[in-house]
Amino acid sequence: MAVALRGLTPLKRILWVLLWVASASGAVAAAAAPIRIGEINPLTGRLANHGIEIHEGILYAVEEANAAGGIGGRPLELVSRDDQSLAEVAVNQAEDLILREHVVDLVGGYVDAMVGPISQLAARYRTPYVASASLQRALTEGRPNPYFFRVSSLEGVTAPLSRFVLEVVQPGKVAILHAATPGATELSQELRERFDQAKLPLAMVEKFRPGTTDFSPFLLKVREAGVDVLIVNGFLADHLILVRQLRELRVPLKAYIGPWGVAYPSFTAELGAAADGLVGMCAWDPEITLAGTEAESQRLVEGFRRRFGKVPSTTSMHGYSSARALLAALQQVAASGRQPTGEALSQALRGLDLKLPMERLQFDAAGDPLTYQQVMVQIQNGRMLAVYPRERAAAEFKPMPPLD
Amino acid sequence: MWLQLLVNAFSLGSFYALIALGFALIFGVTHAFNLAHGELIILSGYLAYSLNVGLGVPFWGVFPPCMLVLMALMAALHGLLRLVKEPFELNSLVLTFGLALVLQNLMLWGFGADYKLLAAGGSAFNPSWLPVTVTRTQLVLIVLSLVGTAAVYLLLTRTYLGKALRATIQQREAARLAGIQVQRMSLAAFGMGGLLIGLAGPLFGRNAYLHPAGGTEATLIAIIITIFAGVGKIRGILIGGWLLGLVESFTAWLVGGSWRELVSAVILIVLLLKWPQGVLTGNRTRTLP
Repeated sequence: MAVALRGLTPLKRILWVLLWVASASGAVAAAAAPIRIGEINPLTGRLANHGIEIHEGILYAVEEANAAGGIGGRPLELVSRDDQSLAEVAVNQAEDLILREHVVDLVGGYVDAMVGPISQLAARYRTPYVASASLQRALTEGRPNPYFFRVSSLEGVTAPLSRFVLEVVQPGKVAILHAATPGATELSQELRERFDQAKLPLAMVEKFRPGTTDFSPFLLKVREAGVDVLIVNGFLADHLILVRQLRELRVPLKAYIGPWGVAYPSFTAELGAAADGLVGMCAWDPEITLAGTEAESQRLVEGFRRRFGKVPSTTSMHGYSSARALLAALQQVAASGRQPTGEALSQALRGLDLKLPMERLQFDAAGDPLTYQQVMVQIQNGRMLAVYPRERAAAEFKPMPPLD
Repeated sequence: MWLQLLVNAFSLGSFYALIALGFALIFGVTHAFNLAHGELIILSGYLAYSLNVGLGVPFWGVFPPCMLVLMALMAALHGLLRLVKEPFELNSLVLTFGLALVLQNLMLWGFGADYKLLAAGGSAFNPSWLPVTVTRTQLVLIVLSLVGTAAVYLLLTRTYLGKALRATIQQREAARLAGIQVQRMSLAAFGMGGLLIGLAGPLFGRNAYLHPAGGTEATLIAIIITIFAGVGKIRGILIGGWLLGLVESFTAWLVGGSWRELVSAVILIVLLLKWPQGVLTGNRTRTLP
């Protein structure tokens, strides 16, 4: 610097010094500037219960990373947005996060009706998006979207569910009721195909609009048809009503299976003893964790309870896992000395291999998780116990007790 | 089977009628299109839930406090709506829409996003001479919808207050000229509407579920049934509720649950085209109050 200043007039020397100070302070500021992560979830509206759970999981992961010193010395800033359980709001919020808030990536999302449009925006603006809860095959099939990743997959639900029904429950007749949402419809179609292949009689498949409060005509048909296994691809609120009406109408079933919504402490708390015997699915629970991650799982449960005053649910863990994937990608990019551009982050996500309490997280070329698989659980005496697959089972499946 | 379907349909229709009664009364008298109606029902449901689950008050005991609290809230809403400038109908719509959003967020903050249920206690009735089950909740819904409708009907037709209310419904200006204090009638309608909303809330929590965002459906049901019945036709509310329940239940039974709303919507459109003043008002034209 001293060499550079030689031969300059005093005024030019002052200008040089001022310029140097300004650029140096700018560099320091850039190094300490927070990395902004955009999050979109249904924090209000019909899906708020699960949206808030996902948000808490993401927030916990970001706070954990900040407590450990951030990424490459830079703190993380989570910019959270509420999509109000509406697809059009989700799109507006995602666009705002990318264009105005200049976030480096996106995370969150519950239900494909919201995740789908956000994934398209991610591709358009080359901003990586890791969805917390998404199943629809169309989002990763066909035209590839190199900026879209998700921690869950339809196969991880369909495979254990169909095998459980065929191998363990062995029903006489099955009926499927599903919400008119993309993920629920696709799950029902997939199950139907698998049951057809296995020559299992499917008495009926019906759909309903989310928010329906009267299922009695359907349940009367179920009773009339002699169905003994009912699979309901709906949400927590639908199960609350269905189970009550099922008991009121005394529909005798061997198994009531709700892949989503049953395996939640809040569900068993609301239904009490009426929840006994119901079958659900979950990817994680304090007692159902990936082998080798028990200690990490326990630490997470304790930390989460301290932070939010409750035990994380399987949905919170989906949020946590998606945020951990993003953070790991950011870490990799920072360690390599590159800027966290969409391209660099997307590349890092594709090469990721994380062992998390919920799953070993690696993405395939389409952005789907390679090893995601849910576990069948049954509520027995108020406790949620894994009943399938056998290697993870803590109890045997018991047919539903007779309804009084 | 058919009998059971019929019982379920009438119970559902009674539930719809109870949801709509308060809305229809207030709309008839004041012309205030209360878009926060459903949220107020949910609020009453949450109050019932807090009393029943939190404090152990028996289910029947939650009705009086819920009705009184909602009556007070509706009186406050009446005061708020008095501040609204012309055009009243449009501005009250906007104001109550805003109120609905405020209530949703307040309930989200106060009660959380988890779904809540009011437990359906008591055993069902299974008469040995009929192949049908009538649950306590169904019985309560049918009885209370009949009692509620009859009470409002008798009040409107057999009391001086009721006659004054009807006069306000039929011709607001003429009622004013006849010496009826129209503002007091509006307050009375809001108060009575509050009592009916307070009555519907616990039943909503018992028949459906409570969630801060669950009020929109209830408001829609109330609007549909009020349009069907016609302004000021209280008996029409019950008949409208029952018909809607029957149409939905039999559609779900015959062609599947996904068709129920579509069939109901088509019927509503036809009714509106054929009887724009409401089915039970006949074809005579009338200026709305």
